[in-house]
Amino acid sequence: MDVPRTVTVALADRPVEGARCLEAGAGVGSTTAGLLDAGASRVYAITNDRGHALSTRERVGGERGRSAAANGKRSGADDRLAVLEADLRAIPLPDESVDLITAHGLCNVLEPAALSRVVDELNRVAAPGSHLVVDDYDPLPNDAAVRDLFAVENAASELATGRSALTFYPSSFLRELFVGDGWAFDRERTLLDPVPWTASHLSAHADAAASFAVNCPDGVGNSLAARAERLAAEIGNESAGRMYSLAFRLPT
Amino acid sequence: METRPLGNTGHDSTVMTFGTIALNWLEQEGANQMVEHVLDYGVNHFDVAPTYGDAELKLGPKLRQHREEIFLGCKTGNRDYEGAWQRLEQSLDRLGVEKIDLYQVHGLEYDEELDEITGDGGALEAFREAKAEGLIDHIGLTSHSRPSLILDAIDRIDDLESVMFPLNPVVAGKDDDKHDYEAVLRRANEENIGTLGIKAFAAESWPDTDDLPERDRPFCNWYRPVCSPDEIRDRFDFAASQGLTSVVSAGDPKLVTMILEAAADYDGLDEAAQRSLIEAARHDDSPVPEQLHH
Repeated sequence: MDVPRTVTVALADRPVEGARCLEAGAGVGSTTAGLLDAGASRVYAITNDRGHALSTRERVGGERGRSAAANGKRSGADDRLAVLEADLRAIPLPDESVDLITAHGLCNVLEPAALSRVVDELNRVAAPGSHLVVDDYDPLPNDAAVRDLFAVENAASELATGRSALTFYPSSFLRELFVGDGWAFDRERTLLDPVPWTASHLSAHADAAASFAVNCPDGVGNSLAARAERLAAEIGNESAGRMYSLAFRLPT
Repeated sequence: METRPLGNTGHDSTVMTFGTIALNWLEQEGANQMVEHVLDYGVNHFDVAPTYGDAELKLGPKLRQHREEIFLGCKTGNRDYEGAWQRLEQSLDRLGVEKIDLYQVHGLEYDEELDEITGDGGALEAFREAKAEGLIDHIGLTSHSRPSLILDAIDRIDDLESVMFPLNPVVAGKDDDKHDYEAVLRRANEENIGTLGIKAFAAESWPDTDDLPERDRPFCNWYRPVCSPDEIRDRFDFAASQGLTSVVSAGDPKLVTMILEAAADYDGLDEAAQRSLIEAARHDDSPVPEQLHH
């Protein structure tokens, strides 16, 4: 699979080669693939989403396993990859067991209470001298049309679960949060400016809103789902906002 | 319009090259106007080929009138000595000029073709004779085949002065060797060989002809092009910011003015914005539709 430039640029100046890595929030495996490509000795890809775990296994483990086999190697990247279905607030790894942690597009799906607990867990599993890469989105500008879609997604999520689905934290906020937890700030770079919210992203967010809407109180859910679908269609695509990459290091 | 050195040729090409295949779709009077229009923007590098319908003939009158203002690239698809000579003489005749500034091997596709053009009795012997006789000034090559083949050609043709190849955000977002035209760009830049980008405005392949017959396509490009002013500008800015000498305009005359405007306004594109275009193309083309993030 093609590793997104957002991932390769975020990892480019990090010592991935030979490192035991934790990808916190595996998504569809893009960062996991980037870590394996860059020579990680081990990647724990953790997600609480069964679909994402399957996607990551199939797209990353499967492909790399096959390519290793095609190259005549007895064992391939499959040996380096462990996809774990788990809650990041209780990571199933021992203390100080990884050298590099990535959280690529993770924090925006964690509301503040969950974020706080995940930050503590990441610190616990990181060995002294570990590196941490946090890639996320600044809050969208006020005139961005996609804000309306995300607002509907959050409304449905709040009504269904009592929590927001999406929180866009400013880079300065996450920087101070991790520094406050003992990480030394290393650098910030801009990954995307503007961020391209494509038709496929908007449709995925409309689908997310619809899946929350199923559990909303009578009547409201249908209307929110319909509104999300309409907004996604009306907006089509939009380039807005900024995606950033923060890098930190734990003192040795 | 910004100009950049075309490798070691001594010519500074404008950051946009006019792909004169656009003239093929116009009547002679419209073709004359188009050439004047393009020259009004300061474009100084034109590209033509004998296989572009009547483009050579339609370019002829205005080319002769403005010969000194135009650096002219032409091509031959003939791989053998005799065929290349015949095709060169035919192009000089159809264009009505004494000399072609840059003569290019057209559309290199297979390893065997590279063997033939570089071997005894191959096209490059004709190119070199023509250069000695003053009929052409510089030797180039065009290809949208495998990047590794173009790299081989750079290795094997010592007097190669320009290469023309595809570069756009869709191609740049693919990691495999088959799409690694950035490797060609790097090598060409290392060896000071001029670089001309094609397919900058290609969005995707046309649908199957069963679904959309050729006669019903709304553009005469090889691929479905992007066609809004903003998309054209993004695509131009992307290609021009990769380090190419010049970006060749799209083949459909309907797109040329938008591309001229983008080229005239070109002022660089920072890396985060370049990645934004790659990322947008990657998701448009993604086999994994459920992604919320980038």
